Amino acid sequence: MIWRLGKLVIDTVKGIVGVFGLFFNILYWIFIGPFKGKFSRRQSIFHQMVFVGLSSMLIVFFVSIFTGVVLAMQSAYQLEKMGAVLYVASLVAISLCRELSPVLTALVVAGRVGSAFAAELGTMKVSEQIEALDTMAINPVRFLAVPRFLALFFMLPCLTALADLSGILGGYLVGTNSLEINPDLYMQTTFKYLELKDINTGLLKAFVFAIIIALIGCYEGLNTKGGAEGVGKATTKSVVTSFILIILADCVLTAIFYFSKV
Amino acid sequence: MQNEKEVVISLKNVSKSFQGKKIINNVSFDILRGETFVIMGCSGSGKSTLLRLMNGAIKPDEGSIFIKGKDITQISSEGLDEVKISFGMLFQYSALLDSLSVEENVALPLREHTKLAEDIIGIIIKMKLSLVGLRGFEKHYPAQISGGMRKRVGLARAIALDPDIVFYDEPTSGLDPVVGGVIDKLIKDLSSKLLITSVVVTHDMQSVFNIADKVAMVHKGELVEVDTPERIKASPNPYIQQFIHGSPVGPIDFFKEDIGIIEALGL
Repeated sequence: MIWRLGKLVIDTVKGIVGVFGLFFNILYWIFIGPFKGKFSRRQSIFHQMVFVGLSSMLIVFFVSIFTGVVLAMQSAYQLEKMGAVLYVASLVAISLCRELSPVLTALVVAGRVGSAFAAELGTMKVSEQIEALDTMAINPVRFLAVPRFLALFFMLPCLTALADLSGILGGYLVGTNSLEINPDLYMQTTFKYLELKDINTGLLKAFVFAIIIALIGCYEGLNTKGGAEGVGKATTKSVVTSFILIILADCVLTAIFYFSKV
Repeated sequence: MQNEKEVVISLKNVSKSFQGKKIINNVSFDILRGETFVIMGCSGSGKSTLLRLMNGAIKPDEGSIFIKGKDITQISSEGLDEVKISFGMLFQYSALLDSLSVEENVALPLREHTKLAEDIIGIIIKMKLSLVGLRGFEKHYPAQISGGMRKRVGLARAIALDPDIVFYDEPTSGLDPVVGGVIDKLIKDLSSKLLITSVVVTHDMQSVFNIADKVAMVHKGELVEVDTPERIKASPNPYIQQFIHGSPVGPIDFFKEDIGIIEALGL
């Protein structure tokens, strides 16, 4: 029992050190590598951006619009009792922008993209492709992890912005149809209480979540051991770890924003 | 002639252990320029580990490995990259990148390590693919071609940068005898026409005597003998004779001599 606990602690510490090692390695290849004439190929960054961003748009749109619809109905149920149904508009907008859009989008992307990173890199690892890159003096982190990291870092905030808009649209549909709020009034109320800092804090969270998803997906993929089973384990582990870390980071960031009154 | 006798790869007292088990034990040999040097041995004898030590994928615990006069065990990672660029490697399962087409795979080392214009790279790809008989397959993906073709694409990639050393890990394993023969001929041609030094790890005996200028037999991480194929064939060493003839009885103890296969299986 103690032996297993000890192993768990050692593995966790090894994992944390490994993830930070990968992070610094990625930063090295982004900021210092180009000065040594070693660039990441633009083509593969764009290719990853399409996979991460464009292909995730539809699922993010649907998840957010339905979240907006549900949020509007649930808050209307409470606010009706106080005769303040109009405030559904601002409640939906603020809770989406500050909290739900970044977190839900990150969870969707971790499930869709982070797992794909782990599976793809894991398969490359077990089929000697990573070793082949290394033998050709092509750094696997520069060649594989950097394009994925950059794509996610720039596309997740964009997807979060899309989620903000589609969530507000969901609330608007419920507000103007079922709750019979005047459309102009709904939009006015939305933007009256929604401040720029609400949107900014949400987007800042998205940047942090992007770093988490990319690092965990790439780390688990690049450290896959064994055959098909190893790839399966790496994929599952990347999703589970990303989910936990996203919620944890969200908690920490929200606390920081709350106590610093941002 | 002077040039031909130059030592390009030299191992001096190299040892390597994994998890406390010695896989390579005090191995030393020299490989000359233009030579086809074959390392043979049973599965698990440490021959692939020797190859991975020579191509810089792993570092030895003891000893030195010189590639063209540079000790790759003492070199910086940038220096090691420079050495890596000067050699090619054909992997056992080809190790082509699945997400790239045949031509993109061959172009990869050129795009990464040279500043050649795309049209020049296009010409080089066509030349290299012609050399391995695969013109017309440029746009195919690795999953769409056969194992033998993948090996040949792997070879085209390995020689994309015109290396002077090529490492081959089991180049003919899993191939039919004809395709195996084609690969053997390619290795021979590269050695004789382009004076490429070839280091081949294999346990395919037909291939060994087809291509080798020199043969090294490895058993349990130790070098049994290094010599020309003719002398190896005539060697009185029982390990070598058992290996060449694929005999189940001999000093290579797959099964303990006093226990038969039936007893070992508990039947």
